[in-house]
Amino acid sequence: MKLLVNKLTKIFVRYFALYRSFLSHNLKNEMIYRANFAINVGMDIFFMMMNVLFFSILYGNVETVGGWTFHQTLILVGSVGIVRELAYLTFRKGFLELGNYVRTGNFDVMLTSPIAPAAHLAFRHVSLTDSLGEGLMGLLLVVYGFLHLSNASWIGIPFYLLMLVNSLVIYYALCLLINSLVFWLVKSQELNTVVYYFINTARYPREIYHGLGKIFFTFILPSSLIATTPAAILVGRANPSLVLISLSVAGGGLILGLFVWNWSLNFYSSASS
Amino acid sequence: MRKYWTVFQVNWQNALQYRGPTFISILGNLLHISVLLYLWNAIYLSNQSLGSYTLSDLITYYILQLIINSMVLSYISWEISDQISEGSFSNFLVKPVNYLHYWFTINLSGKLFEGLIILVVGAILSFLLIAHVSFPSSGLSLVYFIFSMILGGLLAFEFDFAIGILAFWIVKVNSFKYMLQYCIFFLAGALLPLDLFPVSFQVVANALPFRFLVFFPIQIFLEKEANPLPGFLIAMGWIVFLYFFLQFALRRGITRYEAVGK
Amino acid sequence: MSAIEVSQLTKTFTTHRKEAGLKGSFKGLFSRKPLYKEAVKSVSFSLEEGELVGFLGPNGAGKTTLLKMLSGILYPTSGEARVLSFTPWQRDRAYQRQFSIVMGHKNQLWWDLPPAESFLLNRDIYGVKQIDFQKSLDEMVELLKLKDLLDVPVRQLSLGERMKCELVAALLHQPRVLFLDEPTIGLDVISQEKIRSFIQEYNRLKKTTVLLTSHYMQDVEQLCKRVLVINHGRIAFDGMLSELSQRYIDHKVIKVRFADAQTTTPPPGLEGVEVWDAHHAVLKVKKKEVAHTTQRLLEGYRIEDLSVEEMEIEEVIRRIFAEAPEESLRNRP
Repeated sequence: MKLLVNKLTKIFVRYFALYRSFLSHNLKNEMIYRANFAINVGMDIFFMMMNVLFFSILYGNVETVGGWTFHQTLILVGSVGIVRELAYLTFRKGFLELGNYVRTGNFDVMLTSPIAPAAHLAFRHVSLTDSLGEGLMGLLLVVYGFLHLSNASWIGIPFYLLMLVNSLVIYYALCLLINSLVFWLVKSQELNTVVYYFINTARYPREIYHGLGKIFFTFILPSSLIATTPAAILVGRANPSLVLISLSVAGGGLILGLFVWNWSLNFYSSASS
Repeated sequence: MRKYWTVFQVNWQNALQYRGPTFISILGNLLHISVLLYLWNAIYLSNQSLGSYTLSDLITYYILQLIINSMVLSYISWEISDQISEGSFSNFLVKPVNYLHYWFTINLSGKLFEGLIILVVGAILSFLLIAHVSFPSSGLSLVYFIFSMILGGLLAFEFDFAIGILAFWIVKVNSFKYMLQYCIFFLAGALLPLDLFPVSFQVVANALPFRFLVFFPIQIFLEKEANPLPGFLIAMGWIVFLYFFLQFALRRGITRYEAVGK
Repeated sequence: MSAIEVSQLTKTFTTHRKEAGLKGSFKGLFSRKPLYKEAVKSVSFSLEEGELVGFLGPNGAGKTTLLKMLSGILYPTSGEARVLSFTPWQRDRAYQRQFSIVMGHKNQLWWDLPPAESFLLNRDIYGVKQIDFQKSLDEMVELLKLKDLLDVPVRQLSLGERMKCELVAALLHQPRVLFLDEPTIGLDVISQEKIRSFIQEYNRLKKTTVLLTSHYMQDVEQLCKRVLVINHGRIAFDGMLSELSQRYIDHKVIKVRFADAQTTTPPPGLEGVEVWDAHHAVLKVKKKEVAHTTQRLLEGYRIEDLSVEEMEIEEVIRRIFAEAPEESLRNRP
């Protein structure tokens, strides 16, 4: 047992050091293309504003949606933004590039170096700025929404952050599962469009679903958990079963995702030239 | 004329070969629409309502939006601006093809292709939700609806083409284009019916031609548009105006393209 | 113990054929005919530690596929392989720390950053100690004369310079086995020569086992004593380079320059004439006929210069390939 803990700690330390190394390289790279930075941030803010506009208009007509008030919904919208920025800081962009890697055969290097290919792919393209606008804007919305809550409780904040990380794990597991198909399709654009639609529907409260839809958006495409679980904690609507479901979807999804991914690697037919 | 017919056919082949993206984008749209249907359902279940819409009206609105998205809305500007900024536009300069007509053909064939798929999807969806779909009471409304879709398709193409050829003047056009397209969809009523907007917004949206893409046809289908004829005239006016404007802009753009030299 | 042992290794790729035209596209929607291509067919060989072996074959012969299986990039259809007693496609981290693969047409350096940055990253990826890292980096920078290039963004380097940096990046962790896939492809003659000398020197110094593919004969002639010739996925020859020429070269080439102008038709009864004009002649004759033919030429003509040459090794290879039957495409697995 102690041996296992030691081993896990060693692996964690090593991958954390690797992450730092890759991050610093990517930051240097991003510095070279500073012009893109402003454009990316601008666009992110625009789309976040459009989401807010959508809900503003909607809440101009109704009081609550699925029991969520306008300010509570802002926390939902903001949480999605934060999760997306966290994803870009850890793994998302690698998956977007995966199709190119497989098509050109450059994925070879991920299979020959002594890092887990999934981690290598993720770290190779970690990006601070690609989704920074969304992250900052998201944070702003969460804070704004939180300050307008009638029952704001500061105790929820650490649990909120924990569940954000849990949502990140769900997001990652889904990316792994869907992108495993790339080794057959040899392109990942459409696969990642699916992932995009997934994260794009995460900003609606989970309470709107029922029946088959609820099962679908919980276990197949678990977008109803991404924002709702953390936000529910912050606004004081959480119940233990929701947290439990989120935790198990994350855990189960991650194990399944890693398993499928590692199995799919064997079907990589490295393109020559 | 024959050359455009060939372009039409080749594009269908392409669409079949690359059916993946088409299929996925329809799927994604379907996904978003079903989430919205759940959203409306939740709202009406909690005894609230949106403007003058019944739940059936809203469900119909979004099924129609799904169909319109595939049959009317145009997404060719990506390729146009790529061709211009990467220089493969030069191929068209030496060919006896009108660039606007060329892309009109591509768009038309793409829309008909997608249309076939989406009609099947829409039919299945309507069948599943049959109890919640409002059909127009008169055949005339249906004729008006189809006519308004055709007008919407023409306008949507012209707007998208305009966005595409912005690449003649703006170098890094992609992000800008994204935002512009999204604004157009918003003002077209693709995300929310325009009459749910705050009044001041509605005044602006009604003055702009974008509502003819989505909102206007659906209002006709839902028979909320008492007399669509003035709308038809305005839309046709825009179509004709934009046609001449685009031909003019294209000539200016080509002059600029040749001056920059790629 | 052998460094590399391969037995009965086979890799079959499946591809699909699309019929032309709109009708073909429609058909493709519902059924696609699979095609099976056997890139590597039950190949067996073994390499001793420290050997530098050349892998010869035309494009599409299966050289690269084989290297990729030995690197764990591709999963074989059947067969066994052991490299440093690891099974490559299990991708054991311990194995990955001990070998390297460099592909001539692929770039693993960061395009926009100086090569020094990529080297640092590889240090971390392979967990090389700073002391060892600095030592091997200095060594190689010295050997390849790279000092001034370390801080230039990779995209500004020439192809040759980039290849040198690729080699450095691949060797920083001092691998025991090195796979080189067309390391000199597309390079100018001088760069080719430099890369070759480096590989030779490195193999001599570090006793690294090197398996090298190339379709430049010179690479192989200069570097390798032993060659494996592969064609249509099969090993057609495995042995010493000298043996290869002995076995397949049963002809020699006689080149003649006449002292005065001749008729442009060769005399009857003279065999193997390839060129015959007013001033020159080239003849390809069987080894045992060389003496006889030379004598006949010297007697019959006033000759300014005559030479007897070995056939070029490329020609030899071409002949080996001509022998093997074409059977790589078929419709069953």
